[in-house]
Amino acid sequence: MTDLKLLPAEEIHVEQMMVLEETCFGRDAWTEESMRFELLADHTRYFVLLEGEIVRGYAGLSKLPVSSQGDIQTIAVDPSLRGQGFGRMLMERLLREARHLGASEVFLEVRADNPVAQKLYSTLGFEHIDTRKRYYQPDDIDAWIMRAKLEEGSQVEPVVLGIESSCDETGIGIVRGNTLLANVISSSMDQHARFGGVVPEIAARAHLEALQPTLMQALHDAKLSMQDIDAIAVTNGPGLAGALMVGVGAAKALAVASGKSIYAVNHLVGHVGVDVLEGELKLPTIALLVSGGHTSLLLVRDLLDDVTLLGETIDDAAGEAFDKVARLLGLSYPGGPSIDKAALGGDPKAIRFPRGLTLPKDMAMHRYDFSFSGLKTAVARWVEVADGKGEDFSVADVAASFREAVADVLTAKAIAACNDHGIKRLLLGGGVVANARLRELATERCHANGIELRIPELKLCTDNGAMIAALGAQLVMAGRAPSSLDFGVDSTLSVEIVQTN
Amino acid sequence: MSLILAIDTSFGTSVALLENGELRAEHNVADTMKHAELIGSAIEQVLAQAFAKPSQITGVVAGRGPAPFTGLRVGIAAATMFAAGVGVKLYGVVSLDAIALAALNASPVALGVPLLVTADARRKEVYWALYSGLSEKGVPIRIDGPGVMKPAELEDYLVNRNVHPVRTAEPITATNLGLLLEAQLAEGSESADVTAMYLRAADAVEPKARIGKAVSG
Repeated sequence: MTDLKLLPAEEIHVEQMMVLEETCFGRDAWTEESMRFELLADHTRYFVLLEGEIVRGYAGLSKLPVSSQGDIQTIAVDPSLRGQGFGRMLMERLLREARHLGASEVFLEVRADNPVAQKLYSTLGFEHIDTRKRYYQPDDIDAWIMRAKLEEGSQVEPVVLGIESSCDETGIGIVRGNTLLANVISSSMDQHARFGGVVPEIAARAHLEALQPTLMQALHDAKLSMQDIDAIAVTNGPGLAGALMVGVGAAKALAVASGKSIYAVNHLVGHVGVDVLEGELKLPTIALLVSGGHTSLLLVRDLLDDVTLLGETIDDAAGEAFDKVARLLGLSYPGGPSIDKAALGGDPKAIRFPRGLTLPKDMAMHRYDFSFSGLKTAVARWVEVADGKGEDFSVADVAASFREAVADVLTAKAIAACNDHGIKRLLLGGGVVANARLRELATERCHANGIELRIPELKLCTDNGAMIAALGAQLVMAGRAPSSLDFGVDSTLSVEIVQTN
Repeated sequence: MSLILAIDTSFGTSVALLENGELRAEHNVADTMKHAELIGSAIEQVLAQAFAKPSQITGVVAGRGPAPFTGLRVGIAAATMFAAGVGVKLYGVVSLDAIALAALNASPVALGVPLLVTADARRKEVYWALYSGLSEKGVPIRIDGPGVMKPAELEDYLVNRNVHPVRTAEPITATNLGLLLEAQLAEGSESADVTAMYLRAADAVEPKARIGKAVSG
């Protein structure tokens, strides 16, 4: 299985499909008119197997909206390509589609004298439930009626490999439907430490070095080879342009090499979609995404179709503020964990640092926006003044007070968004979620406001490939067409663009 | 049989397919900004033009630069993942060597008169390397470089060493990358190293003062 693509059938394919139809079915072949009618009907789904522009196979499903039953209408594969798994690929696609259309069982008929096809169907979960005597005429052959029950978690869920390279983490993850199979992360964080922040060129160089070993480790962890992957998903924004380009170039070549379709997905929506890997993603939800590169508040009504940006930082990201203040206090990079550590035993109320964009005058324009630049400067001035006076001050108090200001403004705005929109759910994502005080304050305030709080496991909160794979799998399962091979990177990609076509 | 996929993004996007050292298909786009957009279709088109399947590829070669552009990484990343995806060997060659191969095949140099290959390094600098000719198997013999200098500095460098080279305006193409690999394979001098050659450190300044740094003027 290499360079063939499986795509929804279009009317332009009918002529070629008829050639195959006549080759495969002889005198049982449909007429071109009935093929066209089938393909264009509202209640059917047809797919073609394409080698370049040439139709090498096709298959169709019928599923009436009022019924919970689906019917496999036909399946044909070019005789020269039989026995290579293409029939299975087509069938799996139809079963996935049937599930998506809400079918709980799928039926098909097969000639009693075709054991090869019967065997394929039985490995896909079909059982022989009835026989129609002498159904195929004039050959006088019986038809087997076979049925597959579609249950959650059966083998038709797509296996998707996701590649993430928007910042300093090279992440490759693999999922099957909503199940996590591998999540390998290679971070260049140590290389940025002496600069006190992520250096884009260093991050991009590190991605290039990390790609191949990360891919191999992910396949190893998932116990899969590239042949087992159904589709590839890749982050194409937002993020550092040079870093994104490495992942996009890699993903495109991998897609062409393995003949898989590719999905260009939004990094930020990936942070939300990752929650499907830990159970049901409950929607609608407010999502607060906080990292070294982003501080965004989203309203998610539908993961694939309705994501709205409520607000974001107008200057530094929260994680960046942690890094800058850590540097100011002589603490190590990254700032989040070292400030957490330094704040132990400190008094969070010792110094009242400003909360950006929380004054009444800010509410009209920036109700859900954040600003941390002023906070960072306030901490710097405070330290400067204390130093100037030759005072000995408590680094623990400064760290705790700074951290309190960040956690306070983040959670206050997120809770306000929940209350304003009448949505009693809050999902946290991004690396800053590792911050103990942020989690604590979010838990406290959500509880007080009757809001359900979701915090995915930390390894799924920081940038990772599994979240990109998970979002890709959602797109595949929803029957979305793959992206073209020509998409570019967009460092400021809007959160409302979940997939770039 | 060998079927080599060659990818170079040290300047534009150039992809070629060579069968037993013969060009089967080539795709070149000179744009130096759109590597990430172009690379997937460029590979796909080359395969389609040659009626080749990815599974038939026996090796992949990437141009390592030197190049100043973020685009260089796109080609190396693509070559790396293509090779990993089909499970074949990955090779790297210095892009300037591929230019030298084309130039020296077109017109051999006289003894004592080396070939100078240069490429735009931006920031008013050039990448350069010197070659004395071709080896027995047709591999360019690099005698100096690759380096990066301002053009005037490079001229001084050459004059001071009494080197008066011939020059070439050959563009970099993936076809020449593939031909170079074939010659290296014949000679046994091929390399699996695909490390990008930037020849310049990443622009980044280490912060200095910490506590007590004045932030107000």
